[in-house]
Amino acid sequence: MPDAVLPIGLAPAWRIPGNKGIWVGITCELVEFTLMFLVYFLARAHNPEAFQAGAERLSRIAGTAITLLMVGSSFFIACSVSALRADKRRASLLWLALGLFTALGYPVAKALEVSWNLEHGINGSSGIFFTVYYYLTFNHMVHAGWGILGMLWVLARHAAGGYTREDHSGLEALASYWHATDIIWLTLFPLFYVLA
Amino acid sequence: MDALDSSFSRSPVEPPVPIARLGLAWLALSALTVIGLGLGIWFHGQPWLPLLVAGMIWLKGALVARNFLESRHAHPFIRRVLQAFIAFAPLMLLLTSFLGDRLARWTAL
Repeated sequence: MPDAVLPIGLAPAWRIPGNKGIWVGITCELVEFTLMFLVYFLARAHNPEAFQAGAERLSRIAGTAITLLMVGSSFFIACSVSALRADKRRASLLWLALGLFTALGYPVAKALEVSWNLEHGINGSSGIFFTVYYYLTFNHMVHAGWGILGMLWVLARHAAGGYTREDHSGLEALASYWHATDIIWLTLFPLFYVLA
Repeated sequence: MDALDSSFSRSPVEPPVPIARLGLAWLALSALTVIGLGLGIWFHGQPWLPLLVAGMIWLKGALVARNFLESRHAHPFIRRVLQAFIAFAPLMLLLTSFLGDRLARWTAL
């Protein structure tokens, strides 16, 4: 007796954006940042005055700039995936290049912010708020750095014709990782730069 | 079993998400970022500010998940992981803001 199989053409109601491997990685990343956010909230509960005062000293311009760069880059990468699904390879490549260019603004903005922080006496020994701030934001930057390296790889593969409308799981995997990293920053930003 | 596996591992070609929809999500995210910053400055010290910030954190995460990650069409595990992560910080923010003293007592060494 043959095993039951799905009728040909009946697609499942759900899908895995990219591939399973990247979602193992993304799940690990989200668990990691959940634990780091737990550290933030416990530190905040124990030191409410330090957390209220600390946010006043950070550069809101830098935080906002990084947020807009992350969101913009995410948008461009989403457009790249959408364009390739519409079989517009060249447009997809251009969107991806835009996404990478915008994403590169993040480490530049971060370097300028850290330089500004140090000029204003904000360093790792400035108190519990800034310790947690550096701990979380530097970790995020490391993850964003991996995303940028992934973008370089995917851009090279895309330019070499490695992705098609039917098979672009690598591009989708990179997009999924970058969007997840974006969600993490969108959580970080108000916790450090808005709540004073 | 092989046919079943291959039908699940080979994702069908999804229709492209309209650029206009992605653009609207981008504009909303950018606007929420600037508005959130403004609210933090104008309503500094207000007891209900954490509630507003918690709502905005959740909304922005949900916008990215739904529009960029297309979470509604994703595997249920992926959907749940994203929903749980996006909800975690806002819930902890509310807990810390309104029951901060109690949380500190529970977690004191």
